[in-house]
Amino acid sequence: MLKTLFPTLGRFRFTVQIIMLFVTVYGGALLGSYTVDRISQALPSLSCAFDKQTGDHCILIVTQHQLHHRIGEALSKAQEITLKVFIPTLMSVGVFFMFFVFLNKAFCGWVCPLGTVQELLFRIGRRMGRPLHQFEPHNIGRVRPVKWLMLLVLVLGLPLLAGMGVASNELGDAYCQVCPSRLATTLLTADTEQIALRTSSGINFLLGAAGNALFGFMIIAALAVRQPFCRICPLLSWNSLFQKLSPMRLVKKQHDKCEKCGICEMACPMDIHEIAREHGAKAFHEDCTLCGRCAEYCPDDDVIQIKFFGFRLFGASREYYKQRIRRENPQGMPKGGVIWLKKL
Amino acid sequence: MKKTTILSVLALSLTMLFPSLPSAADYQSAPAQRQGDGAASPHQGEHGIRHEKPMAWTRFPTIKTRMSGEHREAMVITVVPQNLVANRIDAFSNNLKDKQGRRSLPLEMTGARLDKPEAGGFHWLSAREEQSDSIRVASTVYYFSDRGSKNPTAMFMQQKNELEIIPLPFPREHSRYRANEDWQFLVRFNSQPLAAQQISLETSNGSKDELMSDAQGVITLHVPDDFKAEEEKPGAGVRNHGRRGADFVLATEYVEGGKTYLTGFNSSYGPDAFDQRSLVWGLGFSFLGMMGAVPLLRRRKAEKKTAEIAVATATKKNGEA
Repeated sequence: MLKTLFPTLGRFRFTVQIIMLFVTVYGGALLGSYTVDRISQALPSLSCAFDKQTGDHCILIVTQHQLHHRIGEALSKAQEITLKVFIPTLMSVGVFFMFFVFLNKAFCGWVCPLGTVQELLFRIGRRMGRPLHQFEPHNIGRVRPVKWLMLLVLVLGLPLLAGMGVASNELGDAYCQVCPSRLATTLLTADTEQIALRTSSGINFLLGAAGNALFGFMIIAALAVRQPFCRICPLLSWNSLFQKLSPMRLVKKQHDKCEKCGICEMACPMDIHEIAREHGAKAFHEDCTLCGRCAEYCPDDDVIQIKFFGFRLFGASREYYKQRIRRENPQGMPKGGVIWLKKL
Repeated sequence: MKKTTILSVLALSLTMLFPSLPSAADYQSAPAQRQGDGAASPHQGEHGIRHEKPMAWTRFPTIKTRMSGEHREAMVITVVPQNLVANRIDAFSNNLKDKQGRRSLPLEMTGARLDKPEAGGFHWLSAREEQSDSIRVASTVYYFSDRGSKNPTAMFMQQKNELEIIPLPFPREHSRYRANEDWQFLVRFNSQPLAAQQISLETSNGSKDELMSDAQGVITLHVPDDFKAEEEKPGAGVRNHGRRGADFVLATEYVEGGKTYLTGFNSSYGPDAFDQRSLVWGLGFSFLGMMGAVPLLRRRKAEKKTAEIAVATATKKNGEA
């Protein structure tokens, strides 16, 4: 029964993504207005607090608020830094970590609503016959540091400086102002407020303009690039800080064929070339979203596995690979091929 | 010339990002600013703004709450009843089973002090004035940020006074009542809905309206858009992000058994969602971003062939059926 419903890991993940899209975007409307206060308010996915119907909040908005209103304010007053100041922040990180222990970065690959939206757009791009742009080993290094910069400057730095009174108060939630998930999830609830730029100050306007342009770029780029925003998402870098602490892991064994094969790196939506060349801890890269595509498309038994506390949840197998490749090629092109706009 | 332009743009950006960094102009104008320090500033945070407004914007009983200064770290708010004489504030948290689920707070000169209990985000606060022929009640809701707190609906619906106006629902965290939005309230007497009951609306911005409850005792409030066009107040305090706000009260009167019952439910509201926002600019920049990504959609013939060959070779080698 389960095998008929979910013949591949990809189908199972897609179903989970759609369910989580409803929970994170419409959860409040489906489960009651106050649901958002009751789940975690520290979800390791871009579940947006500006969406009035969301079922939970993303860890990033809570972090920015606490840096802005508590730590920053307290530092600026040169008051004694007491547990009362730090406890709320530690609580948020603690709650986040309780979630994270079980799913690790699968929150990016299975739960994040913005990840799902980008994947859906990429599927549409395949059906429209649009090209696929991938980062090669020689240029992927230019993109990877951006996610750390986003985390350090927009999520941690500016809110803290705003709380200390050094930077403008409008920078208290600087990342949220440029986050495409704020626009994507609110538009999915037919709310156009967030896409309208705030004109009350120059900073608000500039941040909003940058956010809207980034959102527009992402929407179109996702038709031809897999997960364009995920590569620079501060939650990817935030989650990777805790990646090694979780018992949920991507595990790869050394295998002679790997250097010549390279199908797993073609299948990887984050262009992690290390998955084909490395093994052991290095293969579970900081950009990995635990989507499992590398394991699905590995043609050799148990070379790549997803494990939880050492137990195999999913592992590569030749039989599964043959079945998977019949439905979709490693780069995401379904076997049915292009259905429209082929000659554009 | 080019260098000067670049330096000016850099200086402008830095000033916008870090307004508290002193510039040469600030030092020059400092003495002039100090001379004016004695005058009351209209931008002294939440506290200052509230004092600017006339206290008697309504004749109905209301409750004022405020958190400021050291109270912010201690999570203590001051609760002040207005337009009625009460000797205590009844505070109900959304965890009614908790030992602090219902508290009676003594009123002092500055008001009653409500601290955040271990559990309970939403608090229902009410003050009551009893006389031989009348009972006057003021109620409001205060929210302490609290992860994992219980759904407050059961607490809202529990009977606390004879005549009640109950929000259905109250805005959750990260939202508030805003102009031009529709919100529902239940009007009831001794837990029984009051149909065709007249309810008065008054706002601190000066709006007045009369509403009528339906057969289920429900009224739909269209929050009035009565904010004057003015600049956002950047000095209005870190906590409220410089947002403008006003207060409203819904009040109703009911006579039963020779006694007159008057109850008021008050809260605050903000300007329209699109106040100081531009949809045209927003769509314009989104479109600009889209245009920036359009070149990615163009397929070059050579690229297409190479990519197809690479995928076909790799999959064929590995035994595609």
